Amino acid sequence: MTAAPAETPVADPPAPAPLAPDRAARRAERRLRKQAEQDSVPHGMRATPAGRIARGALLTVAAIVTVFPFYAMVVLSLKPSAAVEFPGSLLPWPVTGEAYDSVMNAQDVPRWLFNTVIYSVVSVVGVLLLASLAGYAFAKKRFPGREAMFWSFLSMVMVPYHVTMIPTFAMIAKMGGVDTYWGMIVPTLANAQAVFLMRQFIQGLPDELFEAARLDGCSEWQIFYRIVLPLLKPILATLGVFVFLWHWNDFLWPLIIGQSTDMRTLTVGIASLQQQNVPLNVVLSGSVIAFVPIFAAYLVGQRYFTEGVTASGIKG
Amino acid sequence: MAVVAEPTRRGRRSGPQARREARIGLLFVLPCFLLFLAFRFGPGVAGVLMSFTDYSLTGGGSFIGLDNFTRLWEDPLFWQALKVTVLYTVLAVPGTLIASVSLALITRRAFRGARFFRSVFFLPVVTSLVLAATVFVWIFSTGGPWSTLMGWLGFSEGSWLSDDLLVLPALAIVGVWSRFGYGMLILLARMQDIPRELEEAALTDGAGPWQRFRFIVLPQLRPALFFLAVIETTASFQVFDAVYTMTGGGPANASYTLVFQLYDAGFKYFDLGYASAIGVALFVLTVVVAVIQRLVIGKDQ
Repeated sequence: MTAAPAETPVADPPAPAPLAPDRAARRAERRLRKQAEQDSVPHGMRATPAGRIARGALLTVAAIVTVFPFYAMVVLSLKPSAAVEFPGSLLPWPVTGEAYDSVMNAQDVPRWLFNTVIYSVVSVVGVLLLASLAGYAFAKKRFPGREAMFWSFLSMVMVPYHVTMIPTFAMIAKMGGVDTYWGMIVPTLANAQAVFLMRQFIQGLPDELFEAARLDGCSEWQIFYRIVLPLLKPILATLGVFVFLWHWNDFLWPLIIGQSTDMRTLTVGIASLQQQNVPLNVVLSGSVIAFVPIFAAYLVGQRYFTEGVTASGIKG
Repeated sequence: MAVVAEPTRRGRRSGPQARREARIGLLFVLPCFLLFLAFRFGPGVAGVLMSFTDYSLTGGGSFIGLDNFTRLWEDPLFWQALKVTVLYTVLAVPGTLIASVSLALITRRAFRGARFFRSVFFLPVVTSLVLAATVFVWIFSTGGPWSTLMGWLGFSEGSWLSDDLLVLPALAIVGVWSRFGYGMLILLARMQDIPRELEEAALTDGAGPWQRFRFIVLPQLRPALFFLAVIETTASFQVFDAVYTMTGGGPANASYTLVFQLYDAGFKYFDLGYASAIGVALFVLTVVVAVIQRLVIGKDQ
């Protein structure tokens, strides 16, 4: 085993900020682990120099193909509408904010953005709260009907969403929920996948913790609020990012439940722009506006993403 | 501690402590469960029941037996939608699986930049297909990047989205682009669990990379591949967002999928009973294919 790389930043933290040494230590540890992993690969299985070049070339091509639509989306949205002809349009000049001006002023994009934020944020808060409460009860409490309830949750994961969507719509319509925020949000709060994930995670927490809190005189609410929720932080972050993106990207349900122009979400609104004769650069500037929060959530929550997908197989 | 904890826990099964625990448990579960009952379980049952009625938003709602299903059987549009959906799945699912396996194999071992590439490949998965579709329409348009590329390769430069034979391959390309990163991540996680000794043993026996993949890695990946095949097939059967935004089911219904027909029946003609019957057909189709996949891919689990 070779030692750590020569200058590890652990020894002399550059700034006295409380997070910095921690982060540096983690980085050094990661580097060590990677090194050890590489060292343990037998020679015959390591990439030869030619293999490494081939791998780099393949990955670069695949990455360019993957990123190209995002690149084109951003670059074309910054063009004057006359300049979206291929191939000259792929160069990032000339640049104007013309499309953004017109999409933010003449169209209903600000309102759609607001609707999308409401739909996503309220749903995230609601799903996380309901699922953590239910997950805690399923994992750590005995009560009559527990198994039956849990199995009914499980059984519904198999039934395609489209079968339940139509009666849900009919019911919401009867209750006057078409074109309202509650009609859009409330049916999506029952998220079986979120409950499973929470239950699975909470089952791994030691019972002694709750016992100790109980002996100290905590009420059940206090135990949930002071002990369970803080322990759930990592899984809440993972699930929160996922639920946020599910709702931000959701299309069919907002399409049928938000029927007036004012109640569209961004995805529904952009699809409607696409079908009218709106210039491409304007439609794309709408797409970019809708994409920025996705990208931000992805950058922030990337670690949670990869861990969440691999640990639980949550649908992306 | 454990000695004390055990009897207390058993003792709690009856008595005031147990009742308190049951009350708290129910209290915590009920908000979620009632919502679930109202908006998932109830509608799930209602969806099946509605497929036997002529329920429509504009009135009606009486039991008509199997009429919706016989109507579906005789509806040429349903057969078209079924054909389109199956064809799309046949193109998109193998494409996604092949791309996922290849990229998982390439990014499998730690190397400089591996994490970067994995993140790049996962980005389309978290992106709404509606947003991506706005660019893909341009990419596939006549004179756009794709048709220009096809022209260079000696094919026709026409737009694939307005060609009734090429529209499904075009949509499948978008589908593969948007999904392969997810499969890659699942397979990568599974590959970490393959005991390294197996491959090392094969290596000392003189097995080359292809043989190691074929006889060591692939068999170990089987459960993950089965899981992915089911997930991807289900997702493909339900393809809607990209179709709605990119082609609107056209040209000449060449990309008219089952969920598109369900949407049309339900929310264009307000024929909710008929739409529910399409939903049930979709459900049955999904189950049948999952069983077949189980038999073919997952036979020795």
